[in-house]
Amino acid sequence: MTTDTVETADPGSAAPAPGKPAKRRRARSPKFLLAIPAWTWFILFFALPVGLVLLYSLGEQVSTFVQKPNVSPSVWSLDNFGKAFDPAYAPIFWRTLRISITGTFICLVISVPFAYWLATKVSPKWRGLLLGLVLVPFWTNFLVRTIGWQLILAPNGFVSQKLQDIGITSGDLALLYTQTGVQIGVVYNYLPLMILPLYVAFERIDPALTEASKDLGANRLKTFVQVTMPLAVPGAIAGMLLVFIPLMGDYITASLLGGAKGSMAGVLVAEQFLNTFNWSRGAAMAVIMIGFILAALAVFAGIGLVLRAIVRARRRVSLPEAVA
Amino acid sequence: MSQQTVTPRRHVDWTKWTLTLWGVLMFVFLFMPIVWILIYSFNTGRILTDWNGFGFDGYRSFFENPAPRAAVRTSLIVAAASAVVATLLGSLAGVALARRPGKWTGGFLFLVALVLVTPEIVDAIALLPWYVLLGQDANIVAFNNGYVRLIVSHSVFSTAVVTLIVRARLSGIDESLEEAAGDLYATPTKRFTQITLPLMLPAVLAGGLLAFTLSLDNTVISSFVFVQGSTPWPVYVFSSVKASLRPEIASISTLMFVLTVVAIGLVGLVLRRGGDSSSDIAATMTGTG
Repeated sequence: MTTDTVETADPGSAAPAPGKPAKRRRARSPKFLLAIPAWTWFILFFALPVGLVLLYSLGEQVSTFVQKPNVSPSVWSLDNFGKAFDPAYAPIFWRTLRISITGTFICLVISVPFAYWLATKVSPKWRGLLLGLVLVPFWTNFLVRTIGWQLILAPNGFVSQKLQDIGITSGDLALLYTQTGVQIGVVYNYLPLMILPLYVAFERIDPALTEASKDLGANRLKTFVQVTMPLAVPGAIAGMLLVFIPLMGDYITASLLGGAKGSMAGVLVAEQFLNTFNWSRGAAMAVIMIGFILAALAVFAGIGLVLRAIVRARRRVSLPEAVA
Repeated sequence: MSQQTVTPRRHVDWTKWTLTLWGVLMFVFLFMPIVWILIYSFNTGRILTDWNGFGFDGYRSFFENPAPRAAVRTSLIVAAASAVVATLLGSLAGVALARRPGKWTGGFLFLVALVLVTPEIVDAIALLPWYVLLGQDANIVAFNNGYVRLIVSHSVFSTAVVTLIVRARLSGIDESLEEAAGDLYATPTKRFTQITLPLMLPAVLAGGLLAFTLSLDNTVISSFVFVQGSTPWPVYVFSSVKASLRPEIASISTLMFVLTVVAIGLVGLVLRRGGDSSSDIAATMTGTG
């Protein structure tokens, strides 16, 4: 189709100026110009607003009735950070970190066997369909999924009744509006973000490698631990980042399932902007939240580097044995 | 050979069965809340959590009540408009990244990555004062309009997504096709509309549909920047949840769920016809590629 039309268009466009095309080809238009609209968009509606938050965090609240803080450089201080991290709020930041780390690890542990099964044990005919089914909850509205959990965890709900009928619990289910409730909710909500990169990682492993490992006498467990899993590490790291970062900033799960006992940093930040109208304190809280994320990532990267060094050192020792 | 065919039949592959059982349990977990919402959307009771009986009351009250309908309408308008904006900006940036990489690429990609990883709540609290600043202090009245605020806010994240999808698609295609068209005297415009555009079209369409769904589902940013009179459906649902859960909420959720599944199914179809494998599709659709 396209070649046809190009050919028919040729005589018309080339006839008037035969020398032109060569010139045109050399004058490669600076196409990075095409990125300028998107770049402008990102600066105007991402970088500058976020910069404004940083500025607000240094400012000072004028009065309880004025949302916008005074940000003239003469009043700049770190007072907001002190107030944002005082004993009333600090536990919520620590709880957020605890829920996020626990949630990320639960996601990892339950996703590894699942993604491995999906990528290697399920027949290719069904794999696409099952993968599609994993995407369905991911693309179901976050809010809707969380309301679903409100229904499931409700003390007077079906699950609570059944558990009592069977005799597993004696009273109503007491998970809604607790930290455990939030923990279940966040594991559920961010799970697909762990499954998919792991799946991709397992699927891309050449079956010849695992076969070679078995031919060389390794049993299945050893093959999995020493060949398959190390190759899937990049997928696991991607998954952990994809789960951990949004989880630290979670707002919806915590506000629907958490109540007062399971509140998280995101809810705290939101309250300053929507209810108490203290923008400068809210901005400081947001900055602290980002600080927590960056610090956790740095620690995570550090642990990763140490582990890698240990694994490499051990391998160097064991290699001659394997050769012998 | 004969030994190999006999032994597996005798020996039950426990690893595989355990893994399969785990897989089934995970699917039960993944679908539990969705199934719950679907079932409770047919609850005739006054409160969503108390099951009264089976009926279509929730759906009826959705169609009879103007507020939820207006919310869905707002969402659809905003989703369509922000998808158009994101597709345009993202496609152009994607072309530039794939075809004219240079010193600028690193900085730009860093910005794209920042947009993608910043927690939504941070964008939300950043955009609210920003719109107040633009709309009231700088007197650019357009930013006092709820639709404008929602469309712009939603398009930022989607633009980043579309950029990466289009870039990935074009990077995989040799530029020689476009150069050949140039050699055959095609004008730059013709070269773009007849060679580059058809090649990148699957990515553009997939990106556009993703942008549409992302906007349709956006709750956090929307609930900060919306203005009374332009309440999108997730914000309507969110504020209803805080007041009281009515079965009507589950009914709207079910309807929007169906809409999202259709849109996502279309993305999958477009990408599959564009030649992606199922794991490529999954990676694209979750932004994990």
